[in-house]
Amino acid sequence: MRFFSFKQNLYPIIALLSSIGILVYGLLMAKTYLCSVFLLFALVFLCFFGCFKAVFHVLPPMILFGGMFALIAYFAYGRDGSAALSMANRMGSVFVAVVPGMSVEAVRMTRNLSQLRMPRGLTLGMLIAMSFPPVLSGEIRRVREAMKTRGAGSVLNPKIFYRAFLIPLVSRLVDISDTLSLSVETRGFTLSKAKYTVYKREVICVSDLIYIFGLVAMMVVLAVVL
Amino acid sequence: METEEKEIDELLENAQEAGDNIPSESGKVEDGVEKHKFFQKYKIKDIVFLAIITACTLVTGAIMPLLVNVPLFGIIQLGLGIQFSLFPVIGMMKVKKPGALLFQSIFISIFLVFMFPPMAMLILCAVIAEAVALLIFRGYKNDWACVLAGTLYMPLTIPFLFLYYRAFYTVTGSEKAAVSMFLGSGNVGLIIGISIAAVAVSFIGSIIGMVIARELRKAGKFKQ
Repeated sequence: MRFFSFKQNLYPIIALLSSIGILVYGLLMAKTYLCSVFLLFALVFLCFFGCFKAVFHVLPPMILFGGMFALIAYFAYGRDGSAALSMANRMGSVFVAVVPGMSVEAVRMTRNLSQLRMPRGLTLGMLIAMSFPPVLSGEIRRVREAMKTRGAGSVLNPKIFYRAFLIPLVSRLVDISDTLSLSVETRGFTLSKAKYTVYKREVICVSDLIYIFGLVAMMVVLAVVL
Repeated sequence: METEEKEIDELLENAQEAGDNIPSESGKVEDGVEKHKFFQKYKIKDIVFLAIITACTLVTGAIMPLLVNVPLFGIIQLGLGIQFSLFPVIGMMKVKKPGALLFQSIFISIFLVFMFPPMAMLILCAVIAEAVALLIFRGYKNDWACVLAGTLYMPLTIPFLFLYYRAFYTVTGSEKAAVSMFLGSGNVGLIIGISIAAVAVSFIGSIIGMVIARELRKAGKFKQ
């Protein structure tokens, strides 16, 4: 990937920083309607930089929870519209800030951190923690199926939850961890200060700079308008 | 060609280093460093287990983005106390090395930055909780050291979040009622009450974690 190219994936560290920026800006400007404008523009802007799917996934919960909390705030503070707007903006900021992070694959983030010479233990741990949730949901489904097969009863009963769900799940996680660590060692991962090569390097492209400067410009313009 | 040769050299060097660190039968590493010292070296399997247990904490704590906007003092700690003590305690009881909680908090912080950046201060909380537990128990050999660290971990975020809300919401929020609710209305009784409740919830989570870990240890699952 050359510098003068427009790629559809954001540079991971830039995505991370932009997430923090969006959230902090959103919280600071939450009480103004311009914050809502910023969040809408930010969502559209993110679509141009390969985050379309993430935006699509985030929109329904953002509308649902944002609306719900805004409604609660509206009635809780004596039918105060500004309180509802602030609450909706805060919820919106949290959801929009999640978008750049969702669009970065775990392996790309790890690769980027490895390039920056982060300790191997941290990059490996982050890679596993980021890519494990789908495996975990699969394991939870399997344990629940096993519960049904054995006729263990409702998971809402604390005793059954502990004995038939929690213990088998953690036991299974220990097994997975043993297998995974063997697999990782076999692939040559080591925690010592060994030299390593990152084969597919993450490169900052023009598109990343356009993205970050565009976002900052949007924030500054709206702050000035305010 | 040069790159390939360089990579081969690096592989050979790594293999040699790995061979140098093989422990002898006496339980000591060959270069004379004792195996059972206070700060033990982490193995791949420790990191992998801590990362997996962190993923569990994260999945069960995914309600955090919703909780952060509920204007009730200490709601995050009350809502997440169980998850953020149960799983870390299991992690610490399996790994039993100083820094186990710190590693977990670092892994989880990368996600929390996207959800709610101030919660990345969990790293600092982990350092404090571990320091207290290790000072009292001199290691994680005693299970109660893990329980103590797990109990302190989440409630320690209360003072940090208090400072965060003071900085953000008092500056920007026009809705004074919400601000005062986040900050506990300046009501010392309420602040102390919620803090004690948060500690109690974390303690219950830690105890459950310890019971699970003991059961798995008895079943031979926690072999090092």
